[in-house]
Amino acid sequence: MAVALTLVRMKVAILRHSGTGQRGQMMAAGGFLGLVLAAGTIYLATLGGDWLAAAYAVWMLGWIIGPVFSGGGDETLRPEFFSLLGLPPHRMAAGLLAAAFVGVAPAISLIALAGLAVGATAAGGPAGGNVLVAVPAMVLQLAVFVLVSKVAVAVLGIALRSRAGAVGAGVVNGAVLAFLGQAWVFAVAFGQGAAVPEFVRYLPSGWGLLAVRGHYWALGALVVLIVLLLGAWAALLSRRAGASRPSTRGRRPVRAATAREAVVAKELRTWSRDLVRTHQLTFALAYGLFFAGAPLALGWIGLLPWAAPLFVVMAASMTANMYGTDGTALWLPLMTPGATAADVRGRQQAWLVTVAPVALALAVVLTPLADGPWPLVLAVTAAVLGGGAGLVPLISVYVLVPSIDPRNRGGNPLRTSEDDGALTGLAYLTIFLVALSAAPAAGVALAAGWWGVAVGLATGALCFWGFGLLAERRLRAHGPELLHLMRTGRRPDAGKPGSSFQLPDMPKAQRAATVVCLSFGAIPLVPQGIIAAVMVSDGRLRHSWFLATYMPPGLRWPVAAGMVLLGLAMYGVGAWLPYRARKRAR
Amino acid sequence: MTPSPALEISGLSKTFGEKVAVDHVDLTVPRGSFYGLVGQNGAGKTTTLSMAVGLLRPDHGTARVFGADVWTDPSRAKQLVGVLPDGLAMPERLTGREVLTYLGLLRGLTKDVVAARAEELLSVLELDGADKTLVIEYSTGMRKKIGLATALLHAPKLLVLDEPFEAVDPVSAATIKMILRGFVAGGGSVVLSSHVMALVEQLCDHVAVIDKGRVAVAGPLAEVRGEGSLEDRFVELVGAVPAGARGLSWL
Repeated sequence: MAVALTLVRMKVAILRHSGTGQRGQMMAAGGFLGLVLAAGTIYLATLGGDWLAAAYAVWMLGWIIGPVFSGGGDETLRPEFFSLLGLPPHRMAAGLLAAAFVGVAPAISLIALAGLAVGATAAGGPAGGNVLVAVPAMVLQLAVFVLVSKVAVAVLGIALRSRAGAVGAGVVNGAVLAFLGQAWVFAVAFGQGAAVPEFVRYLPSGWGLLAVRGHYWALGALVVLIVLLLGAWAALLSRRAGASRPSTRGRRPVRAATAREAVVAKELRTWSRDLVRTHQLTFALAYGLFFAGAPLALGWIGLLPWAAPLFVVMAASMTANMYGTDGTALWLPLMTPGATAADVRGRQQAWLVTVAPVALALAVVLTPLADGPWPLVLAVTAAVLGGGAGLVPLISVYVLVPSIDPRNRGGNPLRTSEDDGALTGLAYLTIFLVALSAAPAAGVALAAGWWGVAVGLATGALCFWGFGLLAERRLRAHGPELLHLMRTGRRPDAGKPGSSFQLPDMPKAQRAATVVCLSFGAIPLVPQGIIAAVMVSDGRLRHSWFLATYMPPGLRWPVAAGMVLLGLAMYGVGAWLPYRARKRAR
Repeated sequence: MTPSPALEISGLSKTFGEKVAVDHVDLTVPRGSFYGLVGQNGAGKTTTLSMAVGLLRPDHGTARVFGADVWTDPSRAKQLVGVLPDGLAMPERLTGREVLTYLGLLRGLTKDVVAARAEELLSVLELDGADKTLVIEYSTGMRKKIGLATALLHAPKLLVLDEPFEAVDPVSAATIKMILRGFVAGGGSVVLSSHVMALVEQLCDHVAVIDKGRVAVAGPLAEVRGEGSLEDRFVELVGAVPAGARGLSWL
């Protein structure tokens, strides 16, 4: 217990120090979003049926997949800190577990798990008894969430030491994220539109709910699972040591003869040798394939060819911190006269060489399977390839997220930056901008068929050339500032707006929140809200992509209305945060 | 007209938030000199050197390399200077030879020149056995040596080295010293920072003591240290009282 208490105190102290300034605001923003989700979960508890079990399944998947996106999860206290103390692994795991309960995410999850108490009263029967069961069920269920997350990160950490492991982890993670995005497809496919498939109830995420519904054995099962996970984590912790080893197979000689070719050669070697990058690309590929393939469960093949552009967009989003990932190595092109142009162009070229062949292969293989639409798929794929190759370096020099130098990444290779929130925001920003770069091509392809491909090639080339030029200018003008940011994690002139995006100078978390809200507000508002409502009122049910049309009768209008409200709220937050920041700046 | 010095720093200043890291530093490094910059940790050595070579923008002041202003005429200045920064990353997933090839081509050297120079540098620095090893797997000493190789690759006239001997084993240190002495003997100029006084006394002919962001004293080594050792003079200048004298209560 002494170890656990000490670690808990240590974590509280660290959180107290980071609870101010930007980090604090980021925590507050994340916490707010979490509270909204938690409130939604508790509302589901009043509906009965398996909705609550499904929600908890999503929460658990979130705990598993979250660390992949946020750079390795909560690492306030790292196992490496204590490796010299010689603690037995199980005591260390128990101590770290106790400390892992301290924080925003576990607190939010515990609130969401209060739905168990609500569910207990809704289940009827001897209500008092069940509500009493809800308290241990909440705690045990939370312990399962936290431990599953820890074990997943530990397994991934070990997987990322070998190429096969990195590829495997990328496939699994991409599949899980795609599943989260398309969960409704499976819900509809298994539950025939009216209910959640029954097996969800029996997933470990649903055992707490089973317990409060009178199956008291589930409490015991939770305890057993916790003991097993703790044992697994302790075993994995003792294997976590040092940095990931890159592969050291034969080296092909560099054949480059010009500066630009040299950068391409360097980048391509880094792409193939850095397992973190291998993981990013496999992740993007798996995400594209699974996301586009998911509607096959409903017998709809139309989304399948879109795996190609989805892969490109996700690859751009995963690699958007291009300069940040290399850390302070930026000093080399800075110290070399005239090297910035070669550096940006070479990186663009290497990115394209890495991503384009896979994307084109996907498009060429999958489009005939779905029987077209050829012009639209090819137009969009060409446009996002150029858009990605242009936007990735541009974004990475404008909204650089300072990262840990590769050699200091330590035992958690997913952790490439200390600033998880900013990385996540960057990923969303990139998804939005790269997708946007395909809008002209998509529009023309829809209206005029094959002309769209020409437009896609043209906008792609324009993005590649123009955004590359902007990135190069920025790098030349602000190179030392970017290097300083990378070195220290701070912007040299906190007073000036850091970028030419029209957002005012505001903490990164708020900036990220604004970008996410403005980028994605349209999805709930227009297709899932307004269009779905029109369909519901027309009686056109079970329509391809519109969640409300799949709901049982009583839920159709509330879901559509809820989506509209969510969209409006997102735009509201996206407008209000910059407004407040501008007002404060004056 | 006298030829411009190898490095001329005047009035360089940098403030981070509240902290004045470098406060109007003036230094002149004569051509052909071996110049040592000494100071405690946090005295402002790294910040000064970063500003002097163009890796950190100063708040005020100028830095000139053989008369070329680092901030207004960067391409000329950066052609003449080779830099070994302390603790910055390299292209980590390349082997030593690949790093040198990449940088040489980036500098605009031809393929053959790059290959020949890389071969020679690797063999002189005793890195040629590590052709299969990526830089990320290098030891600290090897990192310093490959860093020195990148600084020398384009035949600079001035070397600016930040802590080149920190955490380097004696054998590697001897190699580095030999190369630096040879470089100065051949007409080059070297500026290095260190907090090891004995090393500076052994290598350098000029020295400057930096304390709390200012130059406490600068000039030829013999003038600066006077009668005693450089270490005595340093302690006297920075006014540090060794705190360890009291010992630790539980030992």
